Amino acid sequence: MLKEMAASGQTAPCSSASISNYFSSDHPDENKWMDCVHCGMCLEACPTYLETGQEQHSPRGRVHLIKSVAEGKIQLNEQFADPVFQCLDCRACTTACPADVDVGGLIEEARGQIRQAMPLKGWKGAVSMFFLKGLFPYQERMHTLSGLLKFYQRSGLQKVVRKTGALKVMPDHLANMESIMPAIKPSVQKKYKDVDVIPARGVPKARVSMLTGCIMDVMFGDINQSTINVLTHNDNEVTIPKKQTCCGALHVHAGDRKTGRKLAKQNIEAFENSEKVVVNAAGCGCALKEYPELFKDDPEWKARAEAFSEKVEDVSKYLYDTGYEKPQSPLNKKITYHDACHLAHGQGVRHEPRQMLKDIPGVDYTELSNADTCCGSAGIYNITNPEMAEAVLDRKMEDVPQEVEMISMGNPGCMLQMAMGVQKYGRKSEIVHTVQLLDWAYQKDKQMIQGDRSKAAAEKG
Amino acid sequence: MDFQASHPGQQNGSSVSLVDRFGNKGAAVVTPKSEDEISEILQKANQEGKSVSIESGGSKRGYGGIKENYDYTLSMAEYKGVVEHNVGDMTVTVRAGTTITELQEFLQEHHQMIAIDPNWPDQSTIGGVIAANESGPKRLKYGSARDLVIGLRVVYPDGQVIRTGGKVVKNVAGYDMNKLFIGAMGTLGVITEITMKLRPIPKYESLVQVSASEDRIDDLKQLGVSIQDSMKEPVTLELLNPALSKKMINREAYTLLIAFEDVEKSCRDQEEWIEKHKPDGCYAEVLTQQEAQNFWKTFRSHAPNSLTDKAAEITQAVVKVASKNMDVYQIMKESKSIELEHDVSVEAHGGLGHGISHYIVSGKGEEVTAAVYHLRRITEVRKGYAVVKHLLYDLRNQIDIWGGKTSYFFLFEGIKHTIDPNNTLNHQRFIGGI
Amino acid sequence: MFKNKKKKKTQRDPHINKLIEIVGEKEVLYEDADLLSYDCDGFTVHRAMPKAVVFPENTEEVAAIVRYCSINDIPFLARGAGTGLSGGAIPLNREVIISLVKMKHLLSVDYENRQAVVQPGFVNLKLTNSISDKGYYYAPDPSSQYVCTIGGNVAENAGGAHCLKYGVTTNHILGLEVVLPNGEIIEISEDGVPDSPGYDVMGLLTGSEGTLGIVTKITVRILKNPEGKQTVLAYFDHIEDGSRAVSDIISAGIVPAALEMMDKTAIEGVEAGSYPVGHPDDIEALLLIEVDGILAGIEEQIDQILSVCKGRNVREVKVAESEEERGRWWANRKTGFGAMGAISRDYLVQDGVIPRSKLPEVLKNISEISKESGLRIANIFHAGDGNLHPLILFDSSNPGETEKALKAGTACLKACSDVGGSITGEHGVGIEKKEEMRFVFTDEELEAQIKIREVFNPDDLLNKGKLFPTPSRCMDVKKIVKDTVAVQ
Repeated sequence: MLKEMAASGQTAPCSSASISNYFSSDHPDENKWMDCVHCGMCLEACPTYLETGQEQHSPRGRVHLIKSVAEGKIQLNEQFADPVFQCLDCRACTTACPADVDVGGLIEEARGQIRQAMPLKGWKGAVSMFFLKGLFPYQERMHTLSGLLKFYQRSGLQKVVRKTGALKVMPDHLANMESIMPAIKPSVQKKYKDVDVIPARGVPKARVSMLTGCIMDVMFGDINQSTINVLTHNDNEVTIPKKQTCCGALHVHAGDRKTGRKLAKQNIEAFENSEKVVVNAAGCGCALKEYPELFKDDPEWKARAEAFSEKVEDVSKYLYDTGYEKPQSPLNKKITYHDACHLAHGQGVRHEPRQMLKDIPGVDYTELSNADTCCGSAGIYNITNPEMAEAVLDRKMEDVPQEVEMISMGNPGCMLQMAMGVQKYGRKSEIVHTVQLLDWAYQKDKQMIQGDRSKAAAEKG
Repeated sequence: MDFQASHPGQQNGSSVSLVDRFGNKGAAVVTPKSEDEISEILQKANQEGKSVSIESGGSKRGYGGIKENYDYTLSMAEYKGVVEHNVGDMTVTVRAGTTITELQEFLQEHHQMIAIDPNWPDQSTIGGVIAANESGPKRLKYGSARDLVIGLRVVYPDGQVIRTGGKVVKNVAGYDMNKLFIGAMGTLGVITEITMKLRPIPKYESLVQVSASEDRIDDLKQLGVSIQDSMKEPVTLELLNPALSKKMINREAYTLLIAFEDVEKSCRDQEEWIEKHKPDGCYAEVLTQQEAQNFWKTFRSHAPNSLTDKAAEITQAVVKVASKNMDVYQIMKESKSIELEHDVSVEAHGGLGHGISHYIVSGKGEEVTAAVYHLRRITEVRKGYAVVKHLLYDLRNQIDIWGGKTSYFFLFEGIKHTIDPNNTLNHQRFIGGI
Repeated sequence: MFKNKKKKKTQRDPHINKLIEIVGEKEVLYEDADLLSYDCDGFTVHRAMPKAVVFPENTEEVAAIVRYCSINDIPFLARGAGTGLSGGAIPLNREVIISLVKMKHLLSVDYENRQAVVQPGFVNLKLTNSISDKGYYYAPDPSSQYVCTIGGNVAENAGGAHCLKYGVTTNHILGLEVVLPNGEIIEISEDGVPDSPGYDVMGLLTGSEGTLGIVTKITVRILKNPEGKQTVLAYFDHIEDGSRAVSDIISAGIVPAALEMMDKTAIEGVEAGSYPVGHPDDIEALLLIEVDGILAGIEEQIDQILSVCKGRNVREVKVAESEEERGRWWANRKTGFGAMGAISRDYLVQDGVIPRSKLPEVLKNISEISKESGLRIANIFHAGDGNLHPLILFDSSNPGETEKALKAGTACLKACSDVGGSITGEHGVGIEKKEEMRFVFTDEELEAQIKIREVFNPDDLLNKGKLFPTPSRCMDVKKIVKDTVAVQ
């Protein structure tokens, strides 16, 4: 009896297309799940498993499901889609996995399959359409916005959502978001429209190109400015290639791999002549680094994508690797650091930003417990899965010590989400990007030097 | 039955009759020399509906049992010796009738020991110690029988030989059946062989005796707490009441016995720590090596047992009290009132780190039983329990020496019934009359 | 919370409706796609679908579920994190799985009495993390401690690298609350008072692989951190030298806190995994040795260990210079099983135990088994207590290779039991080693154990078909015949 069971339980995984329920192209890669031995070490790393306690919402559960579709055991249907789309794509499981299983990659491939099989309808489809197809890929649309919410209201989407009664939390949630929208700062894309190369402060040691990002440039233009300041301060020339576009991360997360590929191609071309692509948004950086994944079936573009992704670097790592000036002016603040998933788990960047913070005089650094646990932002996850996002955020906020004055991080999505958390819990902490702090410290240095000069001049006079 | 049974009454009149005051008496004694014999004896008894009482050293006749006479006493006294000792594996397999001293002496040659320190090592056999789950002060560091036994051979009442556990130190194959027989008071089967984990004999040992007068007992307790909260690793944290302390070291004061067993440097370091942290007004003395060993030797012989308790004029009870670790101290403190109220003397010791205490209550029969009830009350308030380990048969029938049935007693009955449906073995020796 | 289109009440199995009544709709899974994640645990060779998965949040709910199942003759079993390696949580009989992961709270810590009370779904390592600020820890540390639950640890009597000195789970359990297979709740050694009068039911339940009852509350012993700790890493050119060094260390009268060994293939795996240390790739064995205790006494022991290793021709031996380095060595070791995924598509881990002095002999036998089967076998194990973990590497997509691996696994266990060892040291029997139980127990001994099960679990509804070979005796044969007929 046992032997029979062994035999029947041991169905060969998707080797022939005949049993698989996936579409033939760009399906989840067998080599990715092959390494998973179902050991379960990923469970406690997964925010959705921690929240639900249910294994279909755990990394190994999802991998098992993805594999089961290939084995023809289950269909590409809603039952399969739910756990696959509940995933925050935070990649914490990749870090926890002893065998380096690329769960994130599998999830994205599976999402692509699901969207082919069952295109989004209803409010989720509308939301997704609005953000992903109608907004992010179009810089000019992004720029004409004064805020996401206004666009949301104007676009008539709000009406659609209300009319269908899709989700009562939706307006609340977006209202929450509106209240934490940062004051809109000038976009660097616009500012440097007519500048080819932003000069280095001293003798240039390198020339780097910057991805401005869509949300980042519109909502956090000051962070992009800080990034430019910090780079040029450390003797880098900066270029902002004009043709660049949205990185496509959110599209790929949402299963829209077609648009993802389109955007990827545009960026690969836009940065063709760049030697280094510096990114200050972890999610974007991770997506750029993973472009080759999108072109598994296209050898020519795969090669170009590989060459491109080699050039991509997060700003903190770039500065750490190439050296940066340690500021002199103290920034007397109690600061903690939140690991953006796509920086820590996605790109393995943990130490560099922390070191940067510690190098600023006067910074009273506290390590956040569970610093690398997702905050729930996860691209537009907090809009499509607000309840789960909120539960994940609650867990995150519990770890933030009361007395912290600033929470630093390296991803705009996290910044919005954490800002919401701070507000919800009535905290006083300010949400900042790591390069901003370095920039502010440099500014203070500058003021001090100028102050000294004018003081010296005054004394002379 | 046609075993070579001897009839104790005919052999040795006077001393036997004294021992018989503790009950658990077989009309005939059978002393098998092989497991086959044991198996045969049980099988026959089981078939013929005879009752069997198991004994080997004979020191526990006063422990449990509300049945005065059995058809047979199965004496394990001659089923002894080491079966297998694997020096490199640090395990030993020994027959049940081997005394603790015999076993330790054997192992000593290889610088190894069994890490269990029950009373009366010269008389107590390993089989008896395991069946009654005996332990001493050193269980704080080394654990008790359930932590040390890795395998058993047990003869079931129907004569079947069952092995439980194995010969390896780590083993989860099947149910942990060893646990069933440890402390089962011989009511489920006759343990014939025991396999145990061994430890190296410590390279050095010392014993710090810290004494404090009665009004300073709280300081002593505090010392116990701070040792436990430190990273020091005492082998014992045994608290003695003044009466026992007087008897042991001639100091009528609460005394904490803090033993260390490790390399010399480590023991010295810890002795110094105690010296530094002992409360003001406490008196401390350090015994090392042979001195410490001598002390423990005396200590293990202070309690009465059915072989030594020959006094006719006073009645003695030994009560095992189990509680949460720190309640050892609370209960001992309160037990003073027992002496005052009942006209008995009480000698007591208990481990602050392991929760097991022993009380020796001496006095007139009724006073002693009243004192035992009193002690049990104090203990039960703190969710502990008190089991009488040594008492005259007549008195055992007057008090429930196990202190009542647990809520899941039906499981005990089920287990007993499944293994010994005819109640052949040590019937009524254990809790709830099983 | 999830907008799943689920079946309406009227379309559902009435038993499912009843379970929903007990724990609420969100806490019951019954759709196939949801259940699929529960068709196996850490042992993936056998798979079977449950009837439902329920997530009770307290003891009363567990008892109510159990009572309902028991009255209605529905097989059921308990599951924690599902990291078990012998298939103990696999629903062979379309069980209702009672997942205890929502009972995941630390109920109390009593430092003075050195005990903590946890719910069964509380994760092992979280206990240590919760008490480490006061300098305390929970000793049993299975490699899966980041995720495995203490309830699961009790069921399996889990061990770990440090149980050489500190013992396994059973040595650290002070009290249990248990739901018996009929739904009755019992409390053993409430408040953790030792030596509770009566048979040691707690000891029996620990390691009973979820066949005697469902543990719903656990009182555990907590320990104070050792004052000092030193970790040694030793590389050997010959595996025989490495295994002899193990015996030498123990014979020298040292009781290390941990004494771990890896062979060449295992080293290849961990170096390809997520936590490489940079071990040389041409050594045959490495030992990871940890000594802890009073600081003043450690140096002497380390010196002794170093000289023992040198006496056994060690190539290189070093003492960890920082906590960080020590952490890296341990992460490398503890993720060892999972890391095999990096060098092999599938693996089967075995768990034999041998008397430590037989190490060289048995390792030789295992390498013979590897040659005969044509499968690579990595050894990564607790050498100090003789607990071997041969990892049989195979590729299930090659026809017949799974069977070959299973056969090699059995042969490894035979090699262990032949030298007086055991078939499992910490992973349990589960489904995996049922047949191999015959290597170590006679029919009578197996029957003695089954009789004990019948006292607790007379209808055999709780985790049926685990632990014991089938059929082990006439009565079981009859039962199976009856069941088969009923199914047909």
